[in-house]
Amino acid sequence: MRRPTAVTWRCFAFSGRVNPQTLVLTVLTLAILMSVSGLALYFGNYPLTTAEISTILFQQGDETPDIVIWYHRLPRLLVGIGAGAAFGVAGALIQDMLRNPLASPDIVGFSSGAATGALFTVMLTGSSFWVLPGAMVGGVLSAAFVLALAWNKGLSSARLVITGLALSLFLMALVDIMMARLDPLTAADIMKWLVGAFPSPEWGDVVLIFGALIILGPFALWQGFALKSLALGDDIATGLGLNVSTTRLKILFLSVGLTACAVGVAGPLPFVAFAANPIARRLSAASGAGNGSPLLGAAAVGACLTVLADLVCRSLPIGADLPTGVFTAMIGAPLLMWQLTLEIRKGVI
Amino acid sequence: MKTATFPLSAGGLTLTRPVGTVLDDIGLAVPRGKISVVIGPNACGKSTLLRCLARLLRPDEGEVLLEGDPIDRQKSKQVARQLAILPQNSTVPEYLRVFDLVARGRTPWQSPLSQWSRGDALAVERALALAGVEAYSLRPLSELSGGQRQRAFIAMILAQDAPILLLDEPTTFLDLPHQIELLDLVRKLNRESAKTVVMVLHDINLAARFADHVFALKDGKIHREGAPGDVITEATMRQIFGLDCLVIPDPLHGCPHVIPR
Repeated sequence: MRRPTAVTWRCFAFSGRVNPQTLVLTVLTLAILMSVSGLALYFGNYPLTTAEISTILFQQGDETPDIVIWYHRLPRLLVGIGAGAAFGVAGALIQDMLRNPLASPDIVGFSSGAATGALFTVMLTGSSFWVLPGAMVGGVLSAAFVLALAWNKGLSSARLVITGLALSLFLMALVDIMMARLDPLTAADIMKWLVGAFPSPEWGDVVLIFGALIILGPFALWQGFALKSLALGDDIATGLGLNVSTTRLKILFLSVGLTACAVGVAGPLPFVAFAANPIARRLSAASGAGNGSPLLGAAAVGACLTVLADLVCRSLPIGADLPTGVFTAMIGAPLLMWQLTLEIRKGVI
Repeated sequence: MKTATFPLSAGGLTLTRPVGTVLDDIGLAVPRGKISVVIGPNACGKSTLLRCLARLLRPDEGEVLLEGDPIDRQKSKQVARQLAILPQNSTVPEYLRVFDLVARGRTPWQSPLSQWSRGDALAVERALALAGVEAYSLRPLSELSGGQRQRAFIAMILAQDAPILLLDEPTTFLDLPHQIELLDLVRKLNRESAKTVVMVLHDINLAARFADHVFALKDGKIHREGAPGDVITEATMRQIFGLDCLVIPDPLHGCPHVIPR
């Protein structure tokens, strides 16, 4: 009989099945990420040769170049990778959970909720210590709000997107009111962060986002197994022994948690969470896979997109300091329009 | 595991929706190793009853017992090892291949750390062969005909290796030859693998031909139950469907055959 080609592994009670093409594609995406990362370290206002960079990275270098790499380019690169991966996984989790490509944290207002929450707590307490809890609470609240309003015997794409849009607009107004009380310089900085930017991250930010990935990532991969049966619809998933409501809640919290951490270090970068999973999925579906949620692929694609956007925004000659979010929006917005056209043609909206 | 007299039974099942009472104090016991068919007019609660039996719907009152224990107090995964359901509507990713769909049937036997044991591989091959879908096991579902798709789904719940199968109108969207083919398959599974089957069927003549036991539903109540010969009579047809008909023995199979006047 005909069996799909697959790499099967078994070891004691553990076992799994991986499509070889998926494996190749993930490795390929990681390779692309590596090369983009190399470029991100190489390009910048302070010219450095590859030899100098490797000296700095692996040995002790001169003072100024040392600072350029260790305190500017490297943390910025790592925050880009971490935040991009977190956005990618957060988007994949909730898109696959709701079987709806439009249901990503950035489209339906979770990101803006997290950003508003972060901003609110910072202004209230005057310290950046509470950014993360604030972002979490903001994210959870906006998620609860959007889902409660859009839920009507299931989630329709149209309701979800429009509710998310309405919430985002409302939050924007709220942010404007909050910002009116700030001095112009701080306000300008915050504006940039609100578009999605991480111009000068600290090592603390790197630790935070990778800590979040290390803690939440395994849980996300664990839920990837549940997503395999959820993809077949609630009824079949229940029939296969999945507790659909609890699984939904867990996945929602994971997604909001990852979103909040990513927003905390990089601002609400638009469209990364939205685009990463469909791109990863299209790559693996094109290769005939279609087994499970490509969470790792989505993480890699999200990281690639973010680092690439950040690199472009740093090296364009237009103006020194465009926020990274401008470029992720330039990649993501056409994708969203395309997706909307598809949904309209399918008659979903 | 202790063995109850009836693998699946229910008592006092009541479900009310804004439109009215869907299930009205239903009690039933499914005979082991038999094919039970639920018949009744549209909107009589056939599918709702099946969905309650499969814990897809929670009744307002009453409870469902699986092997003697309340179904909603057992772990969903444990239930799935004993009872497989083929629901009526399924949203299936287009790109999914038959093999991968059937492999999902193994979910209750797997965990995130053990997603493809030797037992899984064997059960999937067995299910593919039993349902006769090996020939197109590598094709995506979107390329299949309605009959092939339905067979693929049957293969999925077969891979689940549960002794009880619930099928919600498995013949919808199929033409007559494919309906017969599918029901023949169900009968084969029942006879050869001793599966207990409960299914909802629209067509009374098909129900008469393939059922060992018939539940006739009307207005959310079980109106009559028993062997097809006892339930599918002119009197019952008039009572539950309001149908004026002649019931004669089917010349080929001997089961009752309903001819509307």
